[in-house]
Amino acid sequence: MAASVPRVLGEVRRGVPRHLGITVSSHWFRVAVCVLGIATAPLIVVRIVRDGGSEALDTTLVLTVLVAWSFVASGFVAWDRRPENRLGALLVLLGVWWTAGHLMQPPTFSSPFVLTVGELWRLVWTFGFVYVLLAFPRGGLTRRVDMLLAVIVFVAAVPLQVLWLLFLDQPENAFVVWPRPATADAIDSAQRIIWLAVAVVLVAMFAKRWLDATPPLRRTLAPVVAGGVTVLVFSLYVIVDKFREVPLFLLWCLLAAYTAVPMALLWSMLRARLARSSVADLFLELRARPAPAELAGALSRALRDPSLTLAYWLPQYESYADLEGRPVKLSKETDGTRATTLIDVDGRHVAALLHDPSLREEQELLDAVSAAAGIALENAQLQAELRARLDELRASRVRILEAAQVERQRLERNLHDGAQQRLVALSLELGLLETQFADDPQSKQQLKQAREELGRSLQELRELARGIHPAVVTGHGLAVALETLAARAPLPVRLTVDLDERLPERHEVAAYYLVSESLANVAKHAQATAVTVDVAYSDERLVVEVVDDGKGGANTDTGSGLRGLADRVEALDGRLRVWSAQGSGTRVRAEIPCA
Amino acid sequence: MRVVIAEDSVLLREGLARLLAENDFDVVGTCDTPDELLLKVRSYEPEVAIVDIRLPPTHNDEGIRAAEAIREHHPSVGVLVLSQYVELGLALKLLEESAERIGYLLKDRVSDVKEFTTAVRRVGDGGSAIDPTIISQLLGRRRHDSLLDRVTPREREVLELMAEGRSNQGIAERLVVTERAVQKHITSIFEKLGLTVSCDDHRRVLAVLAFLRS
Repeated sequence: MAASVPRVLGEVRRGVPRHLGITVSSHWFRVAVCVLGIATAPLIVVRIVRDGGSEALDTTLVLTVLVAWSFVASGFVAWDRRPENRLGALLVLLGVWWTAGHLMQPPTFSSPFVLTVGELWRLVWTFGFVYVLLAFPRGGLTRRVDMLLAVIVFVAAVPLQVLWLLFLDQPENAFVVWPRPATADAIDSAQRIIWLAVAVVLVAMFAKRWLDATPPLRRTLAPVVAGGVTVLVFSLYVIVDKFREVPLFLLWCLLAAYTAVPMALLWSMLRARLARSSVADLFLELRARPAPAELAGALSRALRDPSLTLAYWLPQYESYADLEGRPVKLSKETDGTRATTLIDVDGRHVAALLHDPSLREEQELLDAVSAAAGIALENAQLQAELRARLDELRASRVRILEAAQVERQRLERNLHDGAQQRLVALSLELGLLETQFADDPQSKQQLKQAREELGRSLQELRELARGIHPAVVTGHGLAVALETLAARAPLPVRLTVDLDERLPERHEVAAYYLVSESLANVAKHAQATAVTVDVAYSDERLVVEVVDDGKGGANTDTGSGLRGLADRVEALDGRLRVWSAQGSGTRVRAEIPCA
Repeated sequence: MRVVIAEDSVLLREGLARLLAENDFDVVGTCDTPDELLLKVRSYEPEVAIVDIRLPPTHNDEGIRAAEAIREHHPSVGVLVLSQYVELGLALKLLEESAERIGYLLKDRVSDVKEFTTAVRRVGDGGSAIDPTIISQLLGRRRHDSLLDRVTPREREVLELMAEGRSNQGIAERLVVTERAVQKHITSIFEKLGLTVSCDDHRRVLAVLAFLRS
């Protein structure tokens, strides 16, 4: 199997996140960090057990531990899957940070310094949490507004907190310098107000992101929804906490909401992993060698993007085409409504996937599907190329036939308006002259001879012009023209024309030539006694059938007449078929699509 | 007899006008477009309108359409359609309803002044003038017909001339026989073909054409 290498076209992914300073490439390093994170979290409970805590406290503690675990666990999965995206590492860090923050509390520690640092530490965690929400899913802040919000939250959580501690007059506050309760209270209020303002913007942003998302993209936005809920619950907590003691239930809700965010992330990642099992299905499907037409459907199912389409690269046309060879234009605009992934096989560009931009968030899936589809895509590409060439060929055949047609029409018109008219006028003059020589029988006789000679020339010219182009078809339609053809045929013709209205000229002309040539063939070769000609229009097709009762055995390959007719019919996307069994007549049938 | 001519070739138009004027026709108008033709027919109410089948702007079927319009709106005006080709299908279309005041001739026919002027007169007088080519095409289609085989060669000549729309007198002149002889032939033909005798020229034409078409 050839390796396929997807490339990304068009939109250059902006704001690729910078990596954390530490080298986090080793899998075992990640495992170690996470085992540590998981193992240390229960210490939060241990300190309470030592303290002989109550049942209510137990629920809080269990939830507190769950928060740490959920961050570490989902962070590990994300980190291990995409080490280059620092979201995973951040989540693990937040889990460990959470545990540490909750250990810096009595009775594990009782020194005011540690307790004060713990207070600050937990607020830094809150900042980290908001940062993760803003950085989802890329792992970095890409937009100006995100950065601004992060800075505001950081200012409220760290410098203002330190400032607050400087004024807070409490025994366990190790940082107090100027004990002024009023100032401390003002700073505290400012912090909460800033947070609430930020919360409004955040919730609005998340809601907009959800509403703007295409359905496939929404599947990946579960963490955003959880984040929005968490922001709301935390805001409620911030308000209530200002005025009274927070009820336990609200605290539990907040802890549960904290857990929901990494859980949602984990779920969306596992779902993506489940999606990768669809790659296995795709492999099976491709092993059955599906028709190229089924390929797009199979890829669409594997990627779960109903809007997915394929465009095949045609090297000699330097453009893309669909399976039917029709040109496809890839939009290079980064309006975000469509994304393009280019697929190469063995270093040769083969096709482009046009898909929902959200699939970018599942790059491995996209890569896997692209790789799996490689060979099948190559086959489909060949088909698209063939179709494009066929189309080109057909178009050129149509052009040639039409150019010939136009030229014949012009010739016929010239003959009609020129030579024929002049000769008729001349014969009229001769006729008039003849009447003036009533008393000169010899001159009169000579004039009559000249006039008759001229009449024969006119007759020949008429036949010639008619052979060049049957003007009657253009002028009066197929039914009228065929009537004359049938009448002039050297054997009886039963003609049935069932047309309600005029058809496009080239269809009429093709049908006319078909009947004309067929009748000529019958007269020349078939030794027939009768011919039937049926012309009808049904199901948006012009059907022409010429049947004789002659000896049959017509050869479609050697008869250039028949070949020429087939060309004419096929140029109009029609089919010409000839049945000519020895001894049982010949049947020529043309079906020409004609909407 | 008043005549209007619609023909877009100047040579032919002037030639026709001269030919008709020299033969005691009153050419009240000549033109080269269907619209002018209809205007002149409305204004002069001529006995005959001579119409070229290919008229501007497209030179396709304008002439035929003008002819049909005249027959519909001015039933008293005879229409003689001239064409470089005669098409059986068109003849059948023109004769669909009646063979009264209608003619359809090859342009070549203008060279035989006597024949042509007779045809114009016939159309103007309410009869018909069908080109012999059409009749021979029709007869060609009935070549293997047992009924037609019963008709003698002389009778067949009469049949053809009758189908062209000629009167008994015209047929008699053409074949250089007496009108009585012509009448005898005709009676015999109608008997052999199983048609009902009609003394009306154009009814007779229709009956013969209908027989030939069937």
